[in-house]
Amino acid sequence: MSDLTQFIGSLPILSVITLLPLVGALGIALIPSSRPSTIRVAALVISFVTFILSLLMLPGIREFSSEFAFSEQIPWIPNFGITYHLGVDGLSGALVVLTTLLSWICILASFGPIQSRVKEYFISFLILETGMLGVFLSLDLFLFYIFWEIVLVPMYLIIGIWGGADRIYATIKFVLYTLVGSLLMLVAILATAFSHQVATGSWDGAFDLLALRGTITDPTLQALAFAAFALAFAIKVPMFPFHTWLPDAHVQAPTAGSVILAGVLLKLGGYGFIRFAIPLFPQAAQDFAPLMIVLSVIAIIYGAIVAIVQTDLKKLIAYSSVSHMGFVTLGIFSFNQQGVDGAILQMLNHGLITSGLFLLVGIGYERTHDREIAKMGGWASRTPVYAALFGFFLFASVGLPGLSGFAGEFLVLLGAFLVNPMVAGAATLVMILAAVYLLWLYQRVFTGELSPFLKGLGAKLTDVTPIEIATLAPLAAMIVAFGILPALLTGAFAPSVAQFLMYAAGGVAP
Amino acid sequence: MNDLLTIAPLLSVGLTAVAVLLSDAITPNRKYAPISVALAGLGITAWILLQQSGGVVTALNGAYVGGPFVAYLGLLGAAIVAITLLISPDHLFARGYPSAEFAATLLFALCGTILLAAAADLVTLFIALELMVIPGYLLAGFAKRDPLSTEGAVKYFLLGSFSSAILLFGIVLLWGATGTASLTEIAMSLTSLTTGVPPAVAVALALITTGSAFKIAAVPFHYWTPDAYQGSPTPITGYLSVGPKIGAFVLLIKLFLIALLPLADVWIPVMVILAAATMTLGNLVALTQGNVKRMLAYSSIAHTGYLMVGIVAAGAGEASGIAGILFYGAAYALMNLGAFAFLAVIQGRPGATVQLSDLAGLGRKHPQIALLAALFLLSLTGIPPTAGFFAKAYVILSAVQAGGLAAVLAIVAVLNAAIAAFYYLRVIVYLFMRDPAETDVQVATSPLLRAGLLIAAAGTILLGLLPGGLIEAVVQALAS
Repeated sequence: MSDLTQFIGSLPILSVITLLPLVGALGIALIPSSRPSTIRVAALVISFVTFILSLLMLPGIREFSSEFAFSEQIPWIPNFGITYHLGVDGLSGALVVLTTLLSWICILASFGPIQSRVKEYFISFLILETGMLGVFLSLDLFLFYIFWEIVLVPMYLIIGIWGGADRIYATIKFVLYTLVGSLLMLVAILATAFSHQVATGSWDGAFDLLALRGTITDPTLQALAFAAFALAFAIKVPMFPFHTWLPDAHVQAPTAGSVILAGVLLKLGGYGFIRFAIPLFPQAAQDFAPLMIVLSVIAIIYGAIVAIVQTDLKKLIAYSSVSHMGFVTLGIFSFNQQGVDGAILQMLNHGLITSGLFLLVGIGYERTHDREIAKMGGWASRTPVYAALFGFFLFASVGLPGLSGFAGEFLVLLGAFLVNPMVAGAATLVMILAAVYLLWLYQRVFTGELSPFLKGLGAKLTDVTPIEIATLAPLAAMIVAFGILPALLTGAFAPSVAQFLMYAAGGVAP
Repeated sequence: MNDLLTIAPLLSVGLTAVAVLLSDAITPNRKYAPISVALAGLGITAWILLQQSGGVVTALNGAYVGGPFVAYLGLLGAAIVAITLLISPDHLFARGYPSAEFAATLLFALCGTILLAAAADLVTLFIALELMVIPGYLLAGFAKRDPLSTEGAVKYFLLGSFSSAILLFGIVLLWGATGTASLTEIAMSLTSLTTGVPPAVAVALALITTGSAFKIAAVPFHYWTPDAYQGSPTPITGYLSVGPKIGAFVLLIKLFLIALLPLADVWIPVMVILAAATMTLGNLVALTQGNVKRMLAYSSIAHTGYLMVGIVAAGAGEASGIAGILFYGAAYALMNLGAFAFLAVIQGRPGATVQLSDLAGLGRKHPQIALLAALFLLSLTGIPPTAGFFAKAYVILSAVQAGGLAAVLAIVAVLNAAIAAFYYLRVIVYLFMRDPAETDVQVATSPLLRAGLLIAAAGTILLGLLPGGLIEAVVQALAS
């Protein structure tokens, strides 16, 4: 094992992990389109190898005494001090593994549903994976921005080409929302870098996160730049009132698109707050915190209430995402250990649980070609395994103690309580609402007598296949493991949280 | 003798144009001969320009100042002409238009561009400008039997001459008021003004601003652009949308950032309003276009607005504004020529113009061509890692550095980029997300056209991934 660790350490492992999917996509481009099964298997192998490599990277993170492990830094655009700078810590390591895990699961889950333009689909998906990994691993603001934008294009294509009937409206809305936020962030990045250049007289390190943290003192710049960063991230999370693109995108996206959207893309926003917006502009973040907390609570309550009245399965889960992601921003802006621990846990758990739910909705859709809740009923009597799995993920989403959803929300509420008991109280009430809409959903779809619509499907209403179980099992196992031992995770990112809290308090690195 | 060596790039291009015409006279039936001669001549010119990129050399009693700045713009102009020469022949041959006259006209325009970059006084500057734009009028009307082309050319010619006259009047007033034609001496004379701006200079400034705004097609002086662009044969539109535009920005750099720089406080607010109006209106009108060529014409107006951000930043004292313009010029040339080359490829049939709906499903029938089109469109949108992204970032960075009004303009510019994303991405929607159209668009792919497309595509990616080299070149070009 130590040989392996050494070998991993000798590689530019972060570049390998980030770029392997892209290289794989280029390789797949060379396979003729007439061989779809070769393409599918190649994409699965590439994404699975990436996953294994990211797992092998994990143990190494603790061995580094510096904040970021496996750092790689080479000059890229020397005139402006822009570097290709990658690094990983516990927080980004966990999100990288979540990304690589969901990527191969999504690719496997796309084997059946994606039958047209298979080659283009898997190429888009692998480029998307590179973009997401790059966002989590970049420590240079310019590089981060480039990966941030790269994510946009394949997702645009995935929704727009392989999506549902209203896919074009949904995908353009998704891109325009994201682009408005990110372009203003670009101006803020350039302004921040320039202020560093003015202060030090050199462009060296002007785009480097590690060099910039704690050096931006001008309050106007802090406020404006934080507002721009926060807008970009708030749209991605999405926070109320910037969430309206999400239900459309989720409903129209193909299953794997929904999974990666909920599982990883929304996390880019939360990660952006923790890694970039708050450590760079702590004073402004403190000033904006009350507003962010209010918006988070609105999102939590609003998402839950709107979810109750949804008639479409996917849309219901999309709104529940708005509610659940509200806990993430609430925890982050509590600025205490419990809140931030909880926010990160909630990001990872939401990534596991909601991804599972979207996969399950997709599995059901493959059989029924419908997602109308009113048409369902008594499904459990025909497909007990499917119903049991659905129930498991729903309970995890409700926050049942013992499953991973609980720890995150509990910690966030604890953190929020320390800041403002009223806020915590309001958010706690919503956990009851969550139980209402999720359990009511289960009742309407799975219990009771078999509905005429499902009966009409006859033998087509089969139970889950082994491949489908293979996509769900890893998620379920991790939900149980992290539900029993959340400390497995909180321990891993404790140093990141400590660093974050120090910078959020306006501190400077020792 | 030394003077001749200094102006060698100009002579080389001019002689190449003559050689092109001679080659056609000697071998009238070889359609590709003039193109080959022109490309060879451009190669020699590029070599000469590279030799001169070391330091500043003057000729003709100081009217011509060669050096890295001229070398950069000359090489850029030569690259634009070379790509145009690659993407045009098939389109022109299919319609029975001659290639020698075409190549020679382009080369004469390149003479104008080089002279414009080298001009150090008002007279040379104006002559250079006319030398650059008059071939443009000819090119716009190149399809002389096509009424649309003739209409576009007449509009282009009338408004072009009109704006030249306005500009010339302003130049003459400026000369009279300051007593010198030298750009740097005008600046010195204006710096020493102590009692406000004299009326003659104020009128000159107004006229020069108006004339220049016509030349770069800034709103509200942009009306000639869509018609001239739509009427011209497609590859020529590609050239017209980049070559004369970059040349016109060189004119702006010379007039506003050298001669009139001391009056920057006066013209910056005007330029900010013009820039904001240009990008916003260009984008909003582009949104409503169903004809792809006309959409790209309006989008080129919007790009004029982005380039003007660099002028404003440089006027506010941030020299990197000029660097941003030079970088943007190169990126814009590659991606816009690429986009028009794509239109030329699918516009195989004579007489047809491409509507958005004609593009439906092209990604399925011709994936490679559609992929290249998507690359150029993403670059025009400003999505990394493409040349268009870095160009935009560079110009915006200079505006942020300049601060004040320029920074406000930077925010207007990025919001505009989001508007623009809508119509660029809509083309991608048609290419990849709609089912194939009934009307069958022909796809012409000859080796030359393919080479032109690939060069533009490679440049678009390269400048996005590794912009360092060109940034260094731009900084060198401005070092003198």
